[in-house]
Amino acid sequence: MNTRVNPNLAKELNKYGKGNWNECFHCGNCTAICPLSEDGFLFPRKSIRAIQMGLDKKFEASVDPWLCYYCGDCSETCPRDANPGELMMAMRRYLTTKYDMTGLSRKFYTSAIWEYAFIAIIALLVVVSFLVFLPLRPDAASMVNESGGVMINSLIAGVSPDRFVTLIEYGDWLMAFIVAGLLISNILNMFYKTILSDKSIRISVSTYITEFWHLIYNFVTQASFSKCEKKSYWIGHLLLMTGYTIMFIVVVVFLPYFQVEEVYPFWHWQRALGYYATFGIIFFLGMVTYQRLRKTQINMKFSHASDWVFIIMLALTTISGIILHIFRLSGMVEASYYTYIIHLAILVPMIVIEVPFSKWSHLAYRPFAIYISKLKLAV
Amino acid sequence: MEEKRIGVYVCWCGTNIAMMVDVKDVAKEMESLPDVVLARNYKYMCSDPGQDMIIKDIKEHNLNRIVVAACSPRLHELTFRTALDNAGLNPYMLQMANIREQDSWVHTDRTEATDKAKSLVAAAIRRVVHHKPLQKRTVDVHADTLIIGGGVSGMAAALEISDAGKRVLLIEKNENIGGTAAKLNLSFPYMNDANGAIHNLIKKVEESDQITIYSKSEVKEIHGYIGNFKGVVKGQDEKETHLEFGNVIVATGLKSIDAGKIKNYGYWKYPQVITSLEFESLTKQGKIVNEEGKVPDNIAIIHCAGSRNDNYNNYCSRTCCMSALKYANQVRDMLPDSNIFELYADMRAFGKGCEELYTSTSRRGVMFLMFDQRNELPVIKKDEEGDGLVIEFNEKLSGEDIQVPADLVILMVGMEAHDDAKKVSHLAGISMCGNGFFIEKHPKLDPVATTTDGVYVVGCCQAPKDIPDSISQAQAAVARVLATISKGSVEIEVTTAEINKDICCGCQFCISVCPYGANSFDAENNVSVVNEVLCKGCGTCATACPSGAIVTKHFTDEQILSQIEGLMAKVLELEEVETD
Repeated sequence: MNTRVNPNLAKELNKYGKGNWNECFHCGNCTAICPLSEDGFLFPRKSIRAIQMGLDKKFEASVDPWLCYYCGDCSETCPRDANPGELMMAMRRYLTTKYDMTGLSRKFYTSAIWEYAFIAIIALLVVVSFLVFLPLRPDAASMVNESGGVMINSLIAGVSPDRFVTLIEYGDWLMAFIVAGLLISNILNMFYKTILSDKSIRISVSTYITEFWHLIYNFVTQASFSKCEKKSYWIGHLLLMTGYTIMFIVVVVFLPYFQVEEVYPFWHWQRALGYYATFGIIFFLGMVTYQRLRKTQINMKFSHASDWVFIIMLALTTISGIILHIFRLSGMVEASYYTYIIHLAILVPMIVIEVPFSKWSHLAYRPFAIYISKLKLAV
Repeated sequence: MEEKRIGVYVCWCGTNIAMMVDVKDVAKEMESLPDVVLARNYKYMCSDPGQDMIIKDIKEHNLNRIVVAACSPRLHELTFRTALDNAGLNPYMLQMANIREQDSWVHTDRTEATDKAKSLVAAAIRRVVHHKPLQKRTVDVHADTLIIGGGVSGMAAALEISDAGKRVLLIEKNENIGGTAAKLNLSFPYMNDANGAIHNLIKKVEESDQITIYSKSEVKEIHGYIGNFKGVVKGQDEKETHLEFGNVIVATGLKSIDAGKIKNYGYWKYPQVITSLEFESLTKQGKIVNEEGKVPDNIAIIHCAGSRNDNYNNYCSRTCCMSALKYANQVRDMLPDSNIFELYADMRAFGKGCEELYTSTSRRGVMFLMFDQRNELPVIKKDEEGDGLVIEFNEKLSGEDIQVPADLVILMVGMEAHDDAKKVSHLAGISMCGNGFFIEKHPKLDPVATTTDGVYVVGCCQAPKDIPDSISQAQAAVARVLATISKGSVEIEVTTAEINKDICCGCQFCISVCPYGANSFDAENNVSVVNEVLCKGCGTCATACPSGAIVTKHFTDEQILSQIEGLMAKVLELEEVETD
């Protein structure tokens, strides 16, 4: 049965990015220049063709857009200024909405208002919960340790320090389970679309196991990204990724060891990890913010609302964390309390919105796409 | 008998000849041959100093025959004939020996190549002995011009001639002039009003005092030669008109390929499938609707209908790609929300403004889909899911087997020569290529003339082309026509056949073999006679004549046999030297 073409798919994709589907006349320069494009996974040209022709099923069954890290070499080489790199970006946003079964992702990508509103609601929930259920104790001003630092866990009226940390930890785990549940369902959907729905692909259990190391290896090292010509993005991205991952693990898994009453010496592991993470995040965020504003690099020229939301939320989380750290060290009790609330009011919606529904979901889709590509090659 | 005084000139052609042939040795050896007064070699005989050397020698040494051993006579025979003429010698007292294309360029052994050059030059020397002076002849030119075909090419040519104050006899097969171009609405790539422009042209032609239009008429006969043609035109009431004219411009145009021949497209089966010309008339009416009067949502335009395909015509019709883009723009303007599909094999956008048209069209939401001519052509069938049609094929750029929905399909039908092209070619004495298009005299250097002097081919009867190319060709042909008219006379071939009336037995075999109709029968004297104006000197009759009554001037038996003797004598002599 021949596949029917759909002239509306390209129009739909226009909502997801600034590329121009009409410009591409299939010279293939983009595919030729791309260091990541290889036999079996030739992109961007073939993906662009699928969108132009409206081959929805075929497109959703491919992981090609996730194998691209958008160095921009293709866009620089394109003789028609079709911006294939940006088209790939739009395709990733579109695929994100296709993996998500709630429909929220599509809402967030196609309407910035929806995204802002959801962020605002969750932020408000966090703020209200604190002010109502965990109010500042009347004698909070005395909660300062020997070294003059704020005892952050002892500020709440009627809640012991241990209990406070446990409460926050429960909150952490609850958020992690919700986010992970949504993300895993999306990944399963991705698996279904790319492998399971195609009856001609038969992969043995042993292949699933033997190829699994690609997923872990590429998640940790981003080795695939390092094959792009512009290495600075890989290094910056690796700093951001490791920094954030460390911070996430510390905050979710080891909160009782991280959020403590005393102020450790500068070189204590708890502080060192925090400083590394802060540096990694700030370094790459600064780099891409500068480039997105300058618009001189082709891969940073076009910024979708979702790009800015991600950058701004992450930056605000980090900055509020730094400020909280300074307030704590300075013994400013009330300022610390309110900054703590603000920090969480940014952090929580960022993770809840960005990880399952928006730009941050690529943390899972990229390594899984590499895993899926290796599975397909192994068949 | 006059004394034969031959000058031999061996050319080096820079290193082209000198590298493989010992030119000095050739010249030295030729000096010893009978009747040779002198033999020289020079770097470039065709240069001014080279020609001056020949002229000076003719005058100083009283030479009366010249042999030039150099390149092909096709290249420089005329140059050296002019040199002889300038020296006061009859130009036909020249013989060339081709020691470049037939010797130095094709051999690798210098000794053998030099020997071969000696043989070729010796042969030319033997031949030139028998050359006779021939006189150039001229005929007067009739100032009227016959133009066959009233399409855009014929009209452009007619107007150009009438502007020069000369008369035109314009023959049109149909009731109205205008041809295929008059059926168009807009023209690519600038979307100009072709309809208005062509009708302006028609009006001008009709109003011109110099142009006589014979509509619903066909040319029945053309006789004569450049400057002096006579013709018969048959009109609608079977009335025959006899005309006289000095030049003929053939502008018979084109016909579209029969779309029904392409079985995959179901032209006769589905009313939604129309040809490009049918679409032109739809846009002229101002609304795009299918057979049932319904405005289509999905419009598919199929390129190369009957073109560039082994099962139909192999050639490209050159205008369809750009017309198809023109249609996409027209559809987009008239039906902004429709889906437009262009099914093409290769996008040929070579003309001025055409690549730009492709780019701008591709920005208007047109889906370009490529099919492969080597595979089966796209198949049009009924849509099982709706009431329209679908087109199924393997899309080349994606590799996918796809289905394109369509409730209007426009077939970009290619151009073909008219069915009666063969008849016209016989009438006008011109040749046809395998596809039925008329052949020009030289594909690069003489693209509007034909092998029959005074007959020109312009427009799509020569090959598929667009309006500006047709008009350029028409105007180029007119320049040639007006040149002969303004000169008043033309030179005609002198190396013609000649019949010895004493030997001719009147068998008329020569008349049946002559490709130019130059031979006729003189019943009173029971002999054949040659019309020297029509004769091209091809030599067919001379070879065919059973009694040896016909000779072709400048190619007499004596001349050719002497050339062979000269060649063989030298070869034998060389062989003797070897066996010694």
